[in-house]
Amino acid sequence: MEVTGSLKRRSPWLARSVSSLAGAAMFVAPLLALVAIWAVVVPLFDINPRVFPSVGSVGTAAMDSIRDGTLPAHVGASLLRVGLGTLIGIVTAVPLGIAMGVSPTVAAFLTPLFRFFSVLAGIAWIPIATLWFGYGFGAIVFVIFNAVFFVVAYNTLLGVKTIPHTLRNAASSLGAGRWALLTEVLLPGALPNIVTGIRTGLGFAWRGLIAAEMIATNVGLGYMLFVARDFYRTEVIVFGMIVIGVLWLLIDRLLLVPLERATIERWGMVRRA
Amino acid sequence: MKTLSLKNLAKTYFDPYAGSHVNAVHDVSLNVEQGEFVSVVGPSGCGKTTILNMIAGFIPYTGGEILLDGKPVREPGPERGVVFQSFALFPWKTVLDNVGFGPKMRGVPKAERDRIAREYLALAGLSHAAHRYPNELSGGMQQRVGVVRALANNPDVLLMDEPFASVDAQTRMTLQEELTRIWQERKPTVLFITHDVSEAVFLANRVVVLSKGRILDQVEVDLPRPRVWDDLVKDDKFKQLSARVLQMVRAA
Repeated sequence: MEVTGSLKRRSPWLARSVSSLAGAAMFVAPLLALVAIWAVVVPLFDINPRVFPSVGSVGTAAMDSIRDGTLPAHVGASLLRVGLGTLIGIVTAVPLGIAMGVSPTVAAFLTPLFRFFSVLAGIAWIPIATLWFGYGFGAIVFVIFNAVFFVVAYNTLLGVKTIPHTLRNAASSLGAGRWALLTEVLLPGALPNIVTGIRTGLGFAWRGLIAAEMIATNVGLGYMLFVARDFYRTEVIVFGMIVIGVLWLLIDRLLLVPLERATIERWGMVRRA
Repeated sequence: MKTLSLKNLAKTYFDPYAGSHVNAVHDVSLNVEQGEFVSVVGPSGCGKTTILNMIAGFIPYTGGEILLDGKPVREPGPERGVVFQSFALFPWKTVLDNVGFGPKMRGVPKAERDRIAREYLALAGLSHAAHRYPNELSGGMQQRVGVVRALANNPDVLLMDEPFASVDAQTRMTLQEELTRIWQERKPTVLFITHDVSEAVFLANRVVVLSKGRILDQVEVDLPRPRVWDDLVKDDKFKQLSARVLQMVRAA
């Protein structure tokens, strides 16, 4: 009687999957329209394949790269770098962000540094990263780490600051010590902002990854685009661009959005979209 | 007997706007005996919430003493349970885990603290809501959880800071009746802060009237229990007591 939201939870499985299918169709339709225009325009104006490839040649490039194993190798290398860089970024940024959120002194001291390095975060680090780590894996993971670290740390700080002080008082009056305050109040309380930070940071990281791979390595999606350019292989370039976009959408929709939904929305800490 | 005693309690703080020191609380002495229900009533700014926050250990006091069972109080601790006006439930924990939080902090194993939490939820008629999250409950239900969360930790004294001020009038009356019922069953020691005179009289054995950081007077409330609003609104003694307290508060 006094409960709200219970209807939403009990909505039948069928209705939900139909509505999510409809949502997916709405999302895919404009993309399909773009492909359709592309399929008409390229032969219609007899566009030189050195300028822009036909739909068919991109399809062939896709099949070839899957068959000879180059695509899985590039994708695997890129995902490994993003995964590792992001992981290191989160593991280091969250404790720092919490320390900043708890201590005004630490926050005041570090905030100017954070402002400065947020501007620098990303591909500006590539030259010096290659000097430190050499061309390849280390330098790129470092660039990813940079993109994630500052955003996540800053969002964690915001998250801790937005936790109502009465929640900390409630916990300590129920017997929570410092450690319990951290694990039971500060971390879960900051989690909505941490998740937002990870989502934003991963977005930066994904863009940074492609740029870094064009410069500092010999495998990965960015490298795949860059090398194809040397051979005027526009169909490989366009296919690579499609893969980069689709992979990001998959990461966002299948990993990050469900993560947000599982925590934040369930707890009512942000308005349901 | 576990007595809560305030001895010449004082709180002075620096007001940066006024550029001077302000005495929020001065020279408050008060004893709350075990099993007593004491209401502290007064207009806003009289220092009643400041006193509760000092007893809870959330803010330091600048003079006098707070003793619980003879031991001085300086920091928050589980022997002083707090019920907040804003409920202060953990939004990321289910109702069951909110109520079991205190026992969890004491290291009570999961099965045992779930049993304790269920027992207290039953006391507040909330058994059906055990697995819901706070945001799925109405304000009245959230504050029932807030009350039993504090009780489930078995505190020596329960500090309640205008706990029913943010729920609607009808729900408030129900919650007040439920609180008197629970108090009769469990006999916790309660210090209840409110600006609502009839609430103070309805709930308490003794009403303390506070004004400008000092205790103005105290009134014994010897109304019979169980107390229900349907009876008390017609009760002459209740009306008399309420009128007396109201006069003091208005003169304050």
